[in-house]
Amino acid sequence: MSFLSVSDLHINLGEFYLNGVSFDLDKGDYLTIIGPTGAGKTILLESLVGFWMPDQGNIYLENRDITTELPEKRNIGIVYQDYALLSHFTVYKNIEYGLKKKNPKGMKEKIHDIASALYIDHLLHRKPATLSGGEQQRVALARALVVEPKMLLMDEPFSALDPQTRRDTRTLLKKAIAERNTTVMHVTHDLGDAWTLANKVAVIRDGLLLQIGSLEEVFKRPQTPFVAGFVGATLMEGTVIDHDNGLSVVNVNGFTVRTLDPADIGAKVKLAVRPEDIIVGIQPSPNTSAQNNIQATLSGIMYEGKTSLLSLNAGETFFDVLVTNHSLERLGLTPGDTVYAMIKSSNVRIVNSNVN
Amino acid sequence: MQSLKEKRRTGKIGSFKVGLIIVSFIVTAVLVLAIGALFMVPDIKDVWESLKSDEMIFSLKLSLWTGLLSTALVMVFSLPIGYTLSRFQFVGKGFVKTIIDLPVAFPELVLGLCLLLLFGNTFVGKIFSSLGFQFVFTTQGIVAAQFFTALPYACRIMKSTFDYIDPRMEFVSRSLGYSMFETFMNVSLPLAKNGILASTVIAFARCIGTFGTVLILAGGTYMKTEVLPITLYLNISYGNMGMALTSGIVLMVVSFAAIYIFERTEVSL
Repeated sequence: MSFLSVSDLHINLGEFYLNGVSFDLDKGDYLTIIGPTGAGKTILLESLVGFWMPDQGNIYLENRDITTELPEKRNIGIVYQDYALLSHFTVYKNIEYGLKKKNPKGMKEKIHDIASALYIDHLLHRKPATLSGGEQQRVALARALVVEPKMLLMDEPFSALDPQTRRDTRTLLKKAIAERNTTVMHVTHDLGDAWTLANKVAVIRDGLLLQIGSLEEVFKRPQTPFVAGFVGATLMEGTVIDHDNGLSVVNVNGFTVRTLDPADIGAKVKLAVRPEDIIVGIQPSPNTSAQNNIQATLSGIMYEGKTSLLSLNAGETFFDVLVTNHSLERLGLTPGDTVYAMIKSSNVRIVNSNVN
Repeated sequence: MQSLKEKRRTGKIGSFKVGLIIVSFIVTAVLVLAIGALFMVPDIKDVWESLKSDEMIFSLKLSLWTGLLSTALVMVFSLPIGYTLSRFQFVGKGFVKTIIDLPVAFPELVLGLCLLLLFGNTFVGKIFSSLGFQFVFTTQGIVAAQFFTALPYACRIMKSTFDYIDPRMEFVSRSLGYSMFETFMNVSLPLAKNGILASTVIAFARCIGTFGTVLILAGGTYMKTEVLPITLYLNISYGNMGMALTSGIVLMVVSFAAIYIFERTEVSL
């Protein structure tokens, strides 16, 4: 059996609820949970820690049913967006707090070890209110990690930090959990957290777990239009019409797309493409079998700092393409232009061969 | 560019705003004059003589120890009640909250009457008297009267204090291995420090100043159940202004001190 097994979890707190959530995690997994606000992500974490009693379903940790166990017996740590540091304690006392209860032996060294790993050793005597957001979050991480919890749960831990601090904290966190082989669940709105830290991703909406799987599975093979939209991919529907050199040829509303994924001729399929896997040109590229060249109209340009997101439509299919501003300038594109979207057949993925 | 100061000077002053400020000042002025009168009217020698009288010393002592005891009891109960109302959802919560709050809007005399009837010849009164508690026309009755009068204020302050403490701090404490009780002692109580101080001083001021409830339940007996408000009342009826004014001044000083400390704690009621 897996390290963590959640089966058919139902919980209803009025505004927030979970509706039959089931999944498994292995020891050392790093799961990021994404989903819109109010989806039930926070109560999922809080019911694993034991703050809410599920109405139905079970939670097993290391093959033991912990569904009704008190939070203080579970040894699962939690870190919040607003840090929840004990304001009447110094940084040192905050980190010491859990250790004192659980494992007072060699407390001093452990506290100094974790503090220097997270670069807060110079802050130990200070009160939390005098620290910056990034420093407070590192203290909260140190406090949770120092007791070596079986699992670490984090609820949007970086969303109150500026981008640079967020990147630095991610790096430190990644190192600290790798050294301890901690199993982590991390709720976030920032897909960057998933890319840099996680090996698994779950998407939750309206109390339902829509999809869970490896980064590759969720980001590149989203199962539903909602998940696709949430992770920024484009989903197309079509019918397999031919096989060509080991590629499946799919007819999508008038144009054809080739994919490396196998499928039977005549099968209805959903195809997913990520915006960063598409190249835009004003001429079709020399036709190779590995290459898809889709003629499309540029319907919009959205600037996002160093990159831009182009919206293309080919027939009734819309898809987004990520380009650098430099290449956008070089191509001199304006909305309404006819362009060619070039996609490697290995980047077109069949997500579900039995479309209803 | 126009400076901010000039802008402010040239900006139109709304008559609505001015009117409201004037109303606030008028009422404040009347109150200040009333309070001032308490200090201006009596002559100092008279006050000093009154303070040294046996009756005043008895009343001061009785007020002090009943007030302190009642306040301690109020805090012992308002901490758990305030925490319960702030943190837990349970059947009958609305009922508990309404009933505990009721004395805020209840006339003190009616509260005293209810307590008198309850502790008189009822089943409850008999249980208490078999335990050695006699509340009717006794000094114990003063404590009971003060307790029920001050309790709702303390409970309200404690509830709003706990409402302001992020329950996530308690969640984290529990995830680190501390039980609910240990978390209450280690996290909730220390963080509620200011609220506890505020509700203690407000409870003490209410206890010392309780009149109607004490009068009905404990009786206003000369040199027996005579606390400061009773002293004021008895001496006004005898026409003994010196004694009446002196107890008024003492009560006023206690109230000022309480409100001053309460404001310093920045707790909301």
